[in-house]
Amino acid sequence: MTDVELHHGAASDVGLVREINEDAFLVAPLVFVVADGMGGHDRGDVASRIVVEEFSALAESGYDATRGPEAIAATLRSSQARIAEYDAGQRAAGAQDFAAGTTAVVALVVEQTQGDVGGPTEPMWLLANLGDSRIYRYNDSVLEQVSVDHSVVQELVDAGTISLADAAVHPERHIITRALGGSGSTEADFFVLPLAGAERLLLCSDGVSGMIDDDQIADILSRTSDPRDAADRVVAAAVAAGGRDNATAVVVDVVGLVPDRPYDSDAQRMSLEQKLGALP
Amino acid sequence: MPTSSYRTGAWFAVFGSATTLLLPGTEKARVADLWSRIDDGAGFDEVLDALLQSGLGALPGFVLVSGGDGPTKVLARGAVQVTGSADGEQVGIDGRDALTWVERTLDHVESLALVVVDDASSEDTDDVDTDDVDTDDVDLPIVGGLVRVSRVDQPAVTAPPAAPVGTPPPAPEAEQAPAPVPESSPLDDEPDTANMGTREDAGPLAQPVDPPDEADSWAPRAPEPPAAPPGPPPAGPPPVPTGAPPFAPTDALSLQTDHAEQAGSPSAPPAPPVDDDPSDHDGLTRTGASSEAEFARELPGIPGQPAAPRVVAPVARLLISNGETIPVDRVILVGRAPEARRFTSTEQPRLVKVPSPLHEISSTHLEVRPGSGADHGSAVVTDMGSTNGTVLEQPGLGPEDLKPGIAVQLIPGATINLGDGVTIQVTRP
Repeated sequence: MTDVELHHGAASDVGLVREINEDAFLVAPLVFVVADGMGGHDRGDVASRIVVEEFSALAESGYDATRGPEAIAATLRSSQARIAEYDAGQRAAGAQDFAAGTTAVVALVVEQTQGDVGGPTEPMWLLANLGDSRIYRYNDSVLEQVSVDHSVVQELVDAGTISLADAAVHPERHIITRALGGSGSTEADFFVLPLAGAERLLLCSDGVSGMIDDDQIADILSRTSDPRDAADRVVAAAVAAGGRDNATAVVVDVVGLVPDRPYDSDAQRMSLEQKLGALP
Repeated sequence: MPTSSYRTGAWFAVFGSATTLLLPGTEKARVADLWSRIDDGAGFDEVLDALLQSGLGALPGFVLVSGGDGPTKVLARGAVQVTGSADGEQVGIDGRDALTWVERTLDHVESLALVVVDDASSEDTDDVDTDDVDTDDVDLPIVGGLVRVSRVDQPAVTAPPAAPVGTPPPAPEAEQAPAPVPESSPLDDEPDTANMGTREDAGPLAQPVDPPDEADSWAPRAPEPPAAPPGPPPAGPPPVPTGAPPFAPTDALSLQTDHAEQAGSPSAPPAPPVDDDPSDHDGLTRTGASSEAEFARELPGIPGQPAAPRVVAPVARLLISNGETIPVDRVILVGRAPEARRFTSTEQPRLVKVPSPLHEISSTHLEVRPGSGADHGSAVVTDMGSTNGTVLEQPGLGPEDLKPGIAVQLIPGATINLGDGVTIQVTRP
């Protein structure tokens, strides 16, 4: 694996309303996960913990970095199987209709072939999303939501029926269309980003993104350089904003990469260095 | 899988091994693409994904029905009605009721009728006689393929045409009795099995149908009225009454055990109420066990192992000016530092990084992918909203600026200019 230095921080809070924290997260470079056990389901905390355990095993055993999507898909399948097994056990013990469920967002460093088949590879972020937890990237002072929620309101937004602003207050905004556990689709969406194009990643549960808006998140990320402090402050802000749900954030910084700057700033710096005699 | 029957009309219907899809007569391009997927045995979710690829707004209506084991899923949108009976109860779904679509999950479906309500809206674009009151009261059996329909019945109804919509078929075990199922018909009349690949089956058709896409050779399965045995298959298991056996406990769970289970071992006691009960209880929450079964079914091949990536023959080859050669057998994203968005684990795009010392090329500049629908068999290029644009030069045509987001079919010999001295030549595969 190419040398990649990652700095990271994570925080999770039960919030002000819920009694137990059903969120779970994993920080095991080069694997990062946030899972949000679903409210209204039985024991969502078990389901989210199963996902974290499975990805933890993946991080320990290692994975083929050139086949990242397959590794994530296989881990999601084994998580799904374990959740189903747990459900079956609970139902056998007499709990009728028992069905645990959880979302998952995953960030994994993989090697992506550049161009030609079998050509040279380059480390990239491979991101996966299932449900309404989110992955943001913060690059060049711009916050961008990378993952696309698997939710009813997102489908309505995609269809042009409602606007993004409507979506934030829509009564059905918590209904998700894909998740682990339960019977819906368990096919994750995948995303690939160059490491250089994502100086900072934020993985969070909807207890964060549902309580504070993107501008507030961007503001915190811009003012906090240490990823541990950034994760703490994002979660603290979500709790301070009402804390209606468990709030979890994982922040990962890619360190030591040459940022992808526009041409003119490069050229300016080059000429200045040449002027100063620092370069031949 | 029970077969279906249809009456001719203006809508398209695609019958596959795992799904049945109805689309308005205006959706020719979409039907061509989806037919190839459904004919390859695509599952419910895959078809739905493909259906919604270009957004819901562009899709005036559809009906999608899942087949196979387990609960039947029905999605309806637009001017269609789905009626029938499931689990002993009448079902009525109207696609006009919903802003997006109506979704229902039905256990133990006994019969379904998919009826196009407003045939007139698409009539003017087609020369098919859609006045089905006079001419098309004949129910034609079908196993797989693509046909024009006004109504679809599952399982197939034999002539005479069914009574008013919603009446359940006479026999409770309707999946077995009235359908002229090919699997059970004698082998001497038709070498085809239940396999849906009817491409070569170009026999005389009873009902001429407009091909939606001339590039695709296709033919609906020709109805074979003389070959259809009127009675039930002789070797089938004896029909079992759907009601609970007299000795069974009379709780609700015994009514929900699987039909196949009952048919296979009629004398066995009903399954214990807690384990492996595949049905839901309130129509909203669904149990984890049933989802596991469904999950496993969606993966072809060896159980427990991921599906093999789909092998697609390249439709073109890209020669990039830096010396690389890229076959177009999947989505290819070209740029200074390309990113891939929202793909699935089985359809991974290839990222091609090109040098751009002057930064004229955007990070994700353009996309080349195998075309679908009318572009089937060739590559298409789309500018992904690049800052400085893309110039395409096709053989015999002048240079053309690509409009962001608009796909253009590539002819072998075409040259794509991204700027910064980077060009891509398109050749035959």
